[in-house]
Amino acid sequence: MTTPAETLLIVEDEAQIRKFVRISLEAQGYQVLEARLGEEGLATCLASPPHLVILDLGLPDLDGMDFIRRLRAWSTLPILVLSVRASETEKIQALDAGANDYVTKPFGIGELMARIRVLLRKEERRATPSAQFSFPGLRVDLARREVEVDGAPVSLSRKEFALLSLLVASQGQVLTHERILREVWGAGHQEDTHYLRVLVGNLRQKLGDDPMRPRFILTVQGVGYRLAV
Amino acid sequence: MTPQAAIALKPMTLPSALPSGRHPLRLLVPYLFALVVVAITVASAFLLPWLFPHASRSLLFLTGVLVVAARSSLGPSLLASFLSFLAFNFFFTEPVHTFKVADDGDVTTLAFFLLVSAISGNLASRMRQEMAERRASLERISQLYAFSRRLASAAGADEVLDALTDQLARLPGAPPGAIRIFLTATSEGPPGGSPPRETRRRGDDLALAPAEIQAAWERHGPEPVQRGPWLFLPLATDRGALGLVALADIQDPEQRESARSLCYQAAVALDRTRLVTDLAGARLAAETEQLRAALLSSVSHDLRTPLAAIIGSATSLLEYGAAFSPEDRRDLLTTVANEAQHLDRHIQNLLDMTRLGQGTLQLKRDWVDLRDLIAGALARLKEVLAGLEVEVRISPEVPLLWVHGTLIEQALVNLLDNAAKFSPAGGRIAIQAERDGQEVVIDLHDQGPGIPKEERERIFDMFYSVSRGDRANRTGSGLGLAICRGMIAAHGGQIQALPGEAGWGTRMRLRLPLVNAEITPQPEGTP
Repeated sequence: MTTPAETLLIVEDEAQIRKFVRISLEAQGYQVLEARLGEEGLATCLASPPHLVILDLGLPDLDGMDFIRRLRAWSTLPILVLSVRASETEKIQALDAGANDYVTKPFGIGELMARIRVLLRKEERRATPSAQFSFPGLRVDLARREVEVDGAPVSLSRKEFALLSLLVASQGQVLTHERILREVWGAGHQEDTHYLRVLVGNLRQKLGDDPMRPRFILTVQGVGYRLAV
Repeated sequence: MTPQAAIALKPMTLPSALPSGRHPLRLLVPYLFALVVVAITVASAFLLPWLFPHASRSLLFLTGVLVVAARSSLGPSLLASFLSFLAFNFFFTEPVHTFKVADDGDVTTLAFFLLVSAISGNLASRMRQEMAERRASLERISQLYAFSRRLASAAGADEVLDALTDQLARLPGAPPGAIRIFLTATSEGPPGGSPPRETRRRGDDLALAPAEIQAAWERHGPEPVQRGPWLFLPLATDRGALGLVALADIQDPEQRESARSLCYQAAVALDRTRLVTDLAGARLAAETEQLRAALLSSVSHDLRTPLAAIIGSATSLLEYGAAFSPEDRRDLLTTVANEAQHLDRHIQNLLDMTRLGQGTLQLKRDWVDLRDLIAGALARLKEVLAGLEVEVRISPEVPLLWVHGTLIEQALVNLLDNAAKFSPAGGRIAIQAERDGQEVVIDLHDQGPGIPKEERERIFDMFYSVSRGDRANRTGSGLGLAICRGMIAAHGGQIQALPGEAGWGTRMRLRLPLVNAEITPQPEGTP
């Protein structure tokens, strides 16, 4: 399932967390680089670019946001942020600064692995783009504007389709409210979360997705949405 | 005589000495009035000759003079008497239509006219002056009364100082050019100690050197002190000095006295508010201390219980792991993971409570779908709710909520966590949401043992739940419900514990007002 020898860099000052992440990642066949400080991490990214960076936002030497901005100045490497709970603002800021996704501390290894897989798969897709996406129970053809749920075609409105294609193209990476509003409604609608809530409700209904136990569209409270993969 | 009474009785400027601001034509009004009255008198003497024989005509004119004198001052009444005499002489005494006086009696009439007008004019103006004074003193008394009332109802030093500044700025006569109020930090400000800090400033930006303030503060006595343009008044009661008031350009001794009495009143009020604050502070400190002790014991218990399980399981695995069956190993590891999550929830509760307690909780409201919140809460409690049946019914009439989503979700997590703790194995938890007018009502029903009537309100009391500790709760500190209420209250909502259906279990009822409900978006969601 994993491509062996994909290299991941973990930038984290807590040795215990670095250790268990490294052990688990290596058990999954990844190669792991470690950095304790932000500057070290940036230097490693330059010297031997990894396929993905796992970044703790609370580094002793560098603000996490600065790290993201500095890396983004020259690289599109996927960044997975580790952030403490209780601060949606921090997560949104990190995502806006260019992070691709986040995991809230404390996290289970399963969650971390799932996020890493999503980001690496997306990275792989970027190399070989295609308009067709298949997930368990859901098939979307962006070019033909076709959507099938459990083999049955579903007809969507223009905006519903726009939202679904955005979610599908991000392949399970979280999308902030602001980004969805900007891409579906255009600039100037960033505050209109209620449009988004209603649109998601309608889309879930058409996809036969139970909001209490969603199969396809997951709500990330206070942050945004992601596709369940 | 009390100082207040002294101000009240201070004479006001007289109405006859008109203030410079008045229009000069207003001065002529009483004279015009005199002219008009005399003209009317002449006319009525002509028009009604049969009513007025010669002798009583002079009485008619006298009446006119009296009317003018009563309603104005000396000048117009003299004018009226003089004109009345001329008119009387011209029209009604022989020889008619001349100003000649044939009869000595008519000269006497003139003398009477002048005398009567002088006496009554003087009388009238004295009466009016007195009335004006009465009105002014009434005005001043009611102002003072309002001031005392403002002081009596002042809840804090700020209100007292505002009232004092306002009142000083309205001192009768020329108001002070500048007002500064200085206050000590505590109620025990010893005279001669560090100078009080400036807390109020009004009027001109007149220079006032700190050395001046220091000097005035040091030779602080009950008497006002004049230094340069500044008059320093103590803000002091029998219990000690509270501060200092500096007024610029106060010359009038009457003003000085009124200012002094105002300052005394304000000082008494200030002293009272400080006492109240001190008392409240002392009570708060005692309660905080009690709460801290209860929290400490709760925290040490609730953090250690899961830690004991974690440490125990982990060390067992380390020491004897090789000898365990794979199922046992997995079981112990599951314990470690679950207890750690339990610990995480507990720490989240402590953090939330701190935020609520410090009042630093800031609502970040946004449009949120209630179903997402419930789904989120259920997902977070997956392990806790395993083995229980959860039923969710949300009425389609429930609109989007304008709330801080994560806080409401946390409140739901705490309620569900609580319900799960008390549910029997395989029990059912039902969640229902409906719209009730301008509110959304969320009910959470469990099949636990229920809550005794007398405890239904107290379980939300943080102090109660904490001091009760783990006696009533099987796990957890009992902070959960208090936090829940805090978060719901922050949204203007309410939470109540009600008996469950048919005497079974508990129904937690949560009411959230639908803020902005009228702009709830149209179902299409496309603008």
